[in-house]
Amino acid sequence: MKASTLRKASAEAKLLLIGIPLAIWTLLPIYHLVLFALSPKEQAVSGKLWPDNPTLHNFSMVFHQQHHYLGHFWLQMWNSVLIAVAVGAITLFIATSAAFAISRLRVKGGRTIMNLALFTYFIPAAFLAVPMYKTMGNYGLLNSQWALILAMVTIATPYSIWVLKQASDKLPIELDEAARIDGATPLQLFRLVYLPLMMPSLVAVGTYALLLAWNEYLYAFLLLSDDKSTTLGVALGSFLSADDSPWELLMTTGLIYALPPAAIYYVFKRYMVGGLTAGAVKS
Amino acid sequence: MASVSFRNVEKSFGSTRIIHGIGFDIADGEFTVLVGPSGCGKSTLLRMLAGLEEISGGTIAIDDHIVNDIESKDRDIAMVFQSYALYPHMTVADNMGFSLRLRKADPALTKERVAHAARILNLGPYLERYPRELSGGQRQRVAMGRAIVRDPKVFLFDEPLSNLDAKLRVAMRAEIKALHQRLKTTTVYVTHDQVEAMTMADRIVVMQEGRIEQIGTPLELYDHPANLFVAQFIGSPAMNIVSGTLRRDGGQAWVEADGGVRWPVGPTSAGQDGQTVAYGVRPGDLGVGRGADARSVPAEVIVVEPTGAETELLVQVGASQFVVVLHGRTQAQPGGKIHLSVDTGAVHLFDPTSGTALTA
Repeated sequence: MKASTLRKASAEAKLLLIGIPLAIWTLLPIYHLVLFALSPKEQAVSGKLWPDNPTLHNFSMVFHQQHHYLGHFWLQMWNSVLIAVAVGAITLFIATSAAFAISRLRVKGGRTIMNLALFTYFIPAAFLAVPMYKTMGNYGLLNSQWALILAMVTIATPYSIWVLKQASDKLPIELDEAARIDGATPLQLFRLVYLPLMMPSLVAVGTYALLLAWNEYLYAFLLLSDDKSTTLGVALGSFLSADDSPWELLMTTGLIYALPPAAIYYVFKRYMVGGLTAGAVKS
Repeated sequence: MASVSFRNVEKSFGSTRIIHGIGFDIADGEFTVLVGPSGCGKSTLLRMLAGLEEISGGTIAIDDHIVNDIESKDRDIAMVFQSYALYPHMTVADNMGFSLRLRKADPALTKERVAHAARILNLGPYLERYPRELSGGQRQRVAMGRAIVRDPKVFLFDEPLSNLDAKLRVAMRAEIKALHQRLKTTTVYVTHDQVEAMTMADRIVVMQEGRIEQIGTPLELYDHPANLFVAQFIGSPAMNIVSGTLRRDGGQAWVEADGGVRWPVGPTSAGQDGQTVAYGVRPGDLGVGRGADARSVPAEVIVVEPTGAETELLVQVGASQFVVVLHGRTQAQPGGKIHLSVDTGAVHLFDPTSGTALTA
């Protein structure tokens, strides 16, 4: 009894030993982000742990687009939202259809498609940036948000198919058989049985694709060069193009940019962990 | 309601043939049980009837319409799965009404049919619950309710009781049988449990390795097994089998087993003098005699298992062990010597090589 309590305490201590540095490591940059965002311009780099007179002036500057770099803040924010949501939705549509066809309808060549999907990850996305740029140029899509949407869907889909296929495989096949005998067509099976049961995984994969697009910099930078069509992520990067960057505004915008993903993650965290690991191991 | 007929049905997975030309008929309203050890092809046969497996050869007909190329949903059948296969995201009522919903039936009619099925199965209080909130027996009843609501031509059951505990299994067995007596829908029921088969079936189809061993009513199979496999598969505890040589002398006949043990045989039994046979006698057809006589078999008691109404003895006779079931109590003690009496009218003789029963 006593020995086991001791062992528990020591296990907890070890976890804390790892956990505390990890938490500091993760939170330190965010702390700096908040610190800069709340500091007046002249105090931003003063080295203080907390500003003497914290202010929301920076937020007001950003929201009212009162700086040269922030000229299209709201438009770029909207672009980011539009692109991320579109990527999430299109990826979900493609990956769910593929997973259903391969896992449940057992279409011929399903294995090959899965292997091809895996193969795409042998090539880092950065290597494909230039070919993708050429391709979008050929289609005349450069500077159109479709270019980035299509590129991000291409990158997000294979992984999504894998996750959803694994999750589908865990649904008992008898459910499909029962539905078939009950008179369901494949589409009814998909809509009335498959989708409701896959919901946790769908939320997880949709969020993954959405955040992937939201956080993307390289492709957005390449494919959308016009200030009015690009995303807020790229706009943040352009803050650094001058020598006297307005750090406090950059950090404020960055903080605002980081909030939607944090909110999404918070709302869906229940699904995220369960959904992404579901099917990872055979139970 | 409908009849079902199998004609020379075959099934192969790749080059492996697992069902070898099976043919039999199921009459309208009959409760047929397919029984056999695991891997005998009984479930595959059922799934072929359900349209869940393709038919590699031969034909299956429901009501004289060949259904080989007809999809499951158009065969007018309902199936109860071992795992229940209830839709986890739907309430009991939605589960039961799902087939009608797919058919775009009038919601009022669906509600009425679901309520009717729920009444039959005592599921009324659970209609708004989800499957995860039900016990195993209740889930099984919902699966049956889903089948009843369809009012199909044929009910299919694929080992429906295997996931239940022993007590519940006995209760559900009676419920399914009562349900069949009430609805009189043609039923095909797959199980590996011969007790289920014996207690529920109008007719049993015993299968082994993709072939039919015997078809008959439960008591036909019990009293007249066509071969050694059926003899040992049907009945619990299993039939005692010993091999020996058939001897006839005057009006007497017996089988001489290893160690010179003489097992009595009825005078009118089949078989020639000097023929090698497998001698079979059910545990209940053996008794403990009062003393040694010409027709009794000396034995030594190894284990005594009283169950109350009956007593099971494991006894050693020559080189073999036999099971004896006595109706009542016994004074026998382990290590004690007894004399077994044999009901010679209930003795079965088989050809030991082909396994087929010898008939007079």
